[in-house]
Amino acid sequence: MGTFIQLVIDGLSTGSIYAALALAIVLVNQATGLINFAQGGMAVLSAYIAWALNGFGVPIVLAILGAIVVSFFLGALIERYLIRRFERGDPDTAVVVTIGLLTFITGLCAWIWTYNNRLFPSLFPLQTIQLGGAVISVRSLGTIVVIVVIMLLLQALFLGTKLGLALRAVAINPASAAFSGINVGRSLMVGWGLAAVLGAVAGVLVAPQLTLTPGMMDGALVYALAACILGGLSSPIGVVVAAWLIGVLENLAAVYIPFIGHDLKIAVPFILIFVVLIVRPQGLFGRKAVVRV
Amino acid sequence: MSTNRRRMRVASVVAGIGIVAVLAAGCARGGGSPNSTEDGGAAEASPGITDDSITLGITTPLSGPTAGPGTCTVAGITAYFGAKNADGGVEFGDGKTRTVEIEALDDEYDPQKAKANYDQLKSSVFAMTAGLGTPTNRAWREAAIADEVPQALIMTGDPIFSDAEESPWQLGFVPIYQNEGQAFGELLAGSGEEHTVAILSQNDDYGEGYVEGFKAGIEGADNIEIVKELTYEATDTSVDAQLTELAGSGADVFFNAMSITPLVISSLQKTQELGWLPSWFLPSNTSSPTAILEPGGAAAFPGVYTVAFAQSAAAPTFAESEDGAAFLAGLKEYANYPDPPAFPHCVWSYQVGATLEQVFAKMTEPTRADFMEQLRTISGYTAPLMLEGSTVDTTVDGQPAVSTVQVQKYNGKGYAPAESWDQ
Amino acid sequence: MPSTAEFWSRPWVRWAGIGLIVVLMIVGPLILPEFANQTIARIGVFAVAVLGLNVVMGYTGQVSLGQIFFVGVGAYATAYGVNAGWNIVLVFVLACVVPAVLGLLVALAAARLGGLAIAMVTIALPIVGVPLAKRLSDFTGGSQGTSARFSDAPEWTGLYDDQWQLYLVFLIGGITFLLTRNLVRGKYGRAFAIVKGNEAVAASMGVSPYRYKVLAFTIASLIGGVSGFLYMVVIQYTSPETLHFGHSIELLASMVIGGAGSIIGSLLGGAWYVLLPQITNLIDPNITAMLQGAILLVVLFILPGGLVSLPRLWRRRGRGSVAGPGGGPVGGAMQADAAASVPGSSTVGDALGAPQTQSPPPPPTTQS
Repeated sequence: MGTFIQLVIDGLSTGSIYAALALAIVLVNQATGLINFAQGGMAVLSAYIAWALNGFGVPIVLAILGAIVVSFFLGALIERYLIRRFERGDPDTAVVVTIGLLTFITGLCAWIWTYNNRLFPSLFPLQTIQLGGAVISVRSLGTIVVIVVIMLLLQALFLGTKLGLALRAVAINPASAAFSGINVGRSLMVGWGLAAVLGAVAGVLVAPQLTLTPGMMDGALVYALAACILGGLSSPIGVVVAAWLIGVLENLAAVYIPFIGHDLKIAVPFILIFVVLIVRPQGLFGRKAVVRV
Repeated sequence: MSTNRRRMRVASVVAGIGIVAVLAAGCARGGGSPNSTEDGGAAEASPGITDDSITLGITTPLSGPTAGPGTCTVAGITAYFGAKNADGGVEFGDGKTRTVEIEALDDEYDPQKAKANYDQLKSSVFAMTAGLGTPTNRAWREAAIADEVPQALIMTGDPIFSDAEESPWQLGFVPIYQNEGQAFGELLAGSGEEHTVAILSQNDDYGEGYVEGFKAGIEGADNIEIVKELTYEATDTSVDAQLTELAGSGADVFFNAMSITPLVISSLQKTQELGWLPSWFLPSNTSSPTAILEPGGAAAFPGVYTVAFAQSAAAPTFAESEDGAAFLAGLKEYANYPDPPAFPHCVWSYQVGATLEQVFAKMTEPTRADFMEQLRTISGYTAPLMLEGSTVDTTVDGQPAVSTVQVQKYNGKGYAPAESWDQ
Repeated sequence: MPSTAEFWSRPWVRWAGIGLIVVLMIVGPLILPEFANQTIARIGVFAVAVLGLNVVMGYTGQVSLGQIFFVGVGAYATAYGVNAGWNIVLVFVLACVVPAVLGLLVALAAARLGGLAIAMVTIALPIVGVPLAKRLSDFTGGSQGTSARFSDAPEWTGLYDDQWQLYLVFLIGGITFLLTRNLVRGKYGRAFAIVKGNEAVAASMGVSPYRYKVLAFTIASLIGGVSGFLYMVVIQYTSPETLHFGHSIELLASMVIGGAGSIIGSLLGGAWYVLLPQITNLIDPNITAMLQGAILLVVLFILPGGLVSLPRLWRRRGRGSVAGPGGGPVGGAMQADAAASVPGSSTVGDALGAPQTQSPPPPPTTQS
């Protein structure tokens, strides 16, 4: 039983890493209607900026805040000058543009900071806590807590605030939104800026464990996309729950179903998604999409 | 269909073919017969070598997840020959002194691109060397044999490259994975005490080779029992699940054939969190004291062992030694690599350069055939930055250039040689 | 420029153009240097792969991020058959049929569930494919991969290996392109286009979206298998790295950059896939990633419709802005609303559950 609980807790911890990225993807999607493949890359860039500031002697918390501010403007500028041109065209082209952006940002980080693994200072002390027969590190616990807080904030943003409503309106129907007096351009920029901030937080949370390299978030990207689809792109709570589910079920399947083992355990999220989609095509928590003919 | 679209299509076709033709066509087909550059007895020079210079080619990952070690495979050899060129060049056995140029291309760890790079380089370089990766090197191994282009001293522990019959134009540099695993297995078996072993290995030829060697090392020793064996993927974000399972076995030795730095660090941390404190074995390329053991808190374990044949550039005494300082300065000046490297491949590539210099000194003809012949005659050569007890020996069929490794034990600051198991 | 358009539309000009291309294809390999032949052969391999992707994504509008999986299966089937000593024609058939069967099975299950499921299943294919290839090492040679040398030029031809391989690529690839071109210009192509445009309309017209999606996916997998066979002809080695998910993303990018939904675009996409890494290597091998990203962004910035839209760009230059009527956010939004209201242009964004736009009645198209 101890193993089981440990695996569940470990799964939640790994799942939180996926969830961090997934939340940023959700935000961009809700605000601009795009899937941003470069979200992980932008998160890594933000983490590098924080690391670099810290290297210049800035205390880590201030360095992170500085990186967050820089990320906001970076995200807004990227939207305005790069993505804007593709938002209203073929969505495939927009996705490929984000792919190109990811390649570019990864290459940029490698060029500036090389491929050496950089150690990122941890915000949380390196201790463990006993929890029902299993151990969890304070760092993992802290990550989970921060993810939950962000998730609740995002949920509140979208459902409860004028800004959230404006962001969603612009994404769904820009013309009507413009007629309603919403500044479409600024709204789009804010959406990307906030997503970049989210990404920065994600990057900074996971960098201590994954060590800082240009490709740090690449492994998590596919899982984050899977979590988005499973949970429904319109629901922050959905993607976080989905990400946790993926992390936990993966671990359990690997250990308790020997046939799957640790090498094929990545099949588990996809099987899960398939099963869920048969029952609920919009994902666990998504809103049903209605298309008028 | 409208006229415009038809016109557009035809124009695009012609434009496309025109672009391809312009890019692809050079002068008319030269003497580039793919089937052999003949050399026979007369010393008609092979491509890539003149009276003043010789060019070596490298195809290695310079971007992507393996770019860290990959960049090192170019940096080390560039630093070595950069210093030599600044001194006037390398002396060859035929009496000429030549500068050594390096042409490196990025293959992004894609075998298809590695072969493309080889196709591109083979007619302008004398020999290919130092590339990283098993699938990437395997992709053009047969082509190199058919074209009679040396694929010498490459960075892979795959045994096929050192088998002279299977690979007459190839030779590996680093010890085959089996050797490293076996060295530790023999040490453990020789301890005379009872041990239980848990194994975690990377799910590819790297991990499989280590485990195979380890099992060969403990064969017949009935004081060693393997109680659990698991794998992980090189792309995994974490191995916590595997560690939880392995910790449940209660083994007192943990054989961890892992080549991913962040996973090793998190493994060190996680096993401590789980309260499992075995003795560890780590492979040579992920055992750096400053980059891995200290962040991981390795001092908590009764013993951390590794195998190595080269000094670690991250060790505190390294920069103070004469060879070490020259190495670091060379990296900075010639290879555009200002930070002390976190990967051992920089040192290994530097040693490849030194070994090649030994071969060049023996060559009497500027031909690839002569190069391969002399390549297999180096024996007892201690390359710079090598550990005591390890030498370069290319004369043994089936073994790469370096086949002897030293088992070392972490002493809280760095590594010290471990002759036997002492706990 | 009407006179030019008329010139190109004259039958004899078109036949001369085709004749010229055929002559180039026969004579070219004999005079070009070895590296050029090898490069063009590789372009052919990946042009076929992109063509397959276009059938299912460009023409039928279904997201497939798993095309490289079928290429890999085709390559492995070829390697296995060759190493087992089977007749080469049988091996080719195997390389086509095995991926097609797998594609059929996948599509049968996923197509009923809508774009989301197809997208996710196709992402799963290469991601699960890699560890699977490692596990089935009896068939695949495990993580070390397998070599299969079978495309050396036979003695009676007197050709060099690279020439022979290029002719094979031209022959097999050319036939594949021709067959696919006929397919997409015929009734199947029209059915695909309707399914892409609006599934409800398609169903109401008696065109079963389910059937045609399955068909498109199976054809795409088959073409992927052909590409895998050609991959083995040219590279003669395959390993789990061949099926890597990153290559699927590269194929997607190549398809879009070449020009989605276009035969010529597939050719250009294949050229992009092969030539971009080589060009960035020539510029500076140490910063290939940064250069590739930058070049991709610049190309898409200038040509959002892909390289195949280059002539269109020249033509429009004379008539005003490329983006058509209206710039700026509102104007762009208005035009976009018109474009977005071409309903159901199912793409990665839509398939992954992006908020559906409300569809007003189709407005008159702004440009023909």
